[in-house]
Amino acid sequence: MKYWKYMIFAVCVLVAISLPKFLGVYPLQMLNIIFIYMALAVSWDMLLRSGQMSLGVAGFCGIGGYTTVLCTINLGLNPLVSILIGALLAGLIALLVGYAVLHLRLLYFAIVTLAVTEIFRILVRNFDITGGPEGIILPNAIFKGDAAGTYWLMLAIAVFTIILSWVFQKTRIHFALTSTANDEIVAASSGLNIFKYLVIVFVITSAIQGMVGGAYAQIYGFVTPESSFSVNFVLLPVTMVLLGGSNSTWGPVIGAVLLSVIAEALKLVIPYGHLLVYGIIMIVAILWLPGGIYGIFKKIGAKAHN
Amino acid sequence: MALLKTTNLTRQFGGLAALSDVSMEINEKEVVGVIGPNGAGKSTFTNVIAGLYLPTSGKIEFKGRDISMTLAHERCHLGIARTFQLMRPLHGLNMLENIMMGGLFGKGHSLKVARNNAMEICQFMALEKVERPISAMTALEIKKMEIARALATEPSLLFLDEVMAGLNKDETMEMIETVRKINGQGMTIIIIEHVMRVIRELTHRVIVLEWGKVLCEGLYEDVSADQRVITAYLGEESEC
Repeated sequence: MKYWKYMIFAVCVLVAISLPKFLGVYPLQMLNIIFIYMALAVSWDMLLRSGQMSLGVAGFCGIGGYTTVLCTINLGLNPLVSILIGALLAGLIALLVGYAVLHLRLLYFAIVTLAVTEIFRILVRNFDITGGPEGIILPNAIFKGDAAGTYWLMLAIAVFTIILSWVFQKTRIHFALTSTANDEIVAASSGLNIFKYLVIVFVITSAIQGMVGGAYAQIYGFVTPESSFSVNFVLLPVTMVLLGGSNSTWGPVIGAVLLSVIAEALKLVIPYGHLLVYGIIMIVAILWLPGGIYGIFKKIGAKAHN
Repeated sequence: MALLKTTNLTRQFGGLAALSDVSMEINEKEVVGVIGPNGAGKSTFTNVIAGLYLPTSGKIEFKGRDISMTLAHERCHLGIARTFQLMRPLHGLNMLENIMMGGLFGKGHSLKVARNNAMEICQFMALEKVERPISAMTALEIKKMEIARALATEPSLLFLDEVMAGLNKDETMEMIETVRKINGQGMTIIIIEHVMRVIRELTHRVIVLEWGKVLCEGLYEDVSADQRVITAYLGEESEC
């Protein structure tokens, strides 16, 4: 019985893999968007479990996006390989930034990561090699734009992130992050090198965000300073985590599915009005749903258990 | 050779010297009491030895090695463990997981080894129903759990910072027995305590701090009869 969770997950993944056989292009693209935000939301939550909040999600997405496009165009690398290089570079920059500023906490750390986003956005805007304000257009989208191929790519990234999030919850990383969030003095007195773990987790989650940004750029075939470093890449995952439930794997997943679907439906009814709805959902989630939707499930589950 | 030796240890906060020129030696397997009125520098002493504050000047030697400038988690690795004056359980973890922290990060054990060791320590400390969340534990249990967490780092020196505070008479008795048992296994212990009975029953030697300085040290009987100590605690006769 212990493994039923993994069995369900495996079945879900198998079903998800087979979906392109049954679905048209539009639903698949819709699912791509969901997977993109799912990976971002889960990775953002993975660092949040330590109490630290990165607002650099858009920055690392942009770094990943620009890196992968530059690698494909200038070095002629395979798109998949260049996505990995984008992830590595995002991780490397997170390592340098993290090493410099992970002594800061909460708001201070959050603001520095936001500043990193701005720095890189301004850099790519002003260099010729990154195409200036217009950005760069790829001659070909990845897999020549094949809907099934891009879908499997995004599915793989989302599943990889979810599995990594599980690993975080089942290993010593869980103890390190929880104790850091609870009480740093106790954590350090128990022998935990807090700084080391924060840097490791910041690098891993930022690399995931770089990978998502890279895949996004390859799927849509272009990068621009404004779209690749879009504030949506940080605000939407944050809202999704708050709505779905932080400090869990399934909370962000639920939040990503719900908000993406709601946004898509709303776009048809009130163009751009969905942004307003995001704001309202965020406020409602903060005020009345401190544990998010997943938190409610957990409470009901605990009650039923007793 | 002394296990812990401090030489002219000083820690200042702004202009205030919370510790000044504290020199002392703690020998292996000893139980030493550190007493003194509020604000005497007892907690600062603990924090400086445990590495939460670095000393402003002076030297700390542990097992013959200068550790003055090492960080808190490194001192834990070297074998200094502590509890806290106020209860500081990690609410995101259950009882057993709290204790596992010590083995996981103090000793670098795997989850399995840390878990088994934590279970053993729970048995030793008479802690039951180990998978309980913190919210379902009593104050005594939390205090014991914090000692267990410190023990799980497999230290050679254990600081107990007012572990008896807030416990009733029976609980205090139980705690005294527990500390005696820990010392019986060869652990060097420094007890910071206000409850004089605890000091009398447990310690081999007492160090009295006042205004960040060592006022005097010696056997409990001698120290408690010392006029300077009585004055420090109770004030001058005219004030009474």
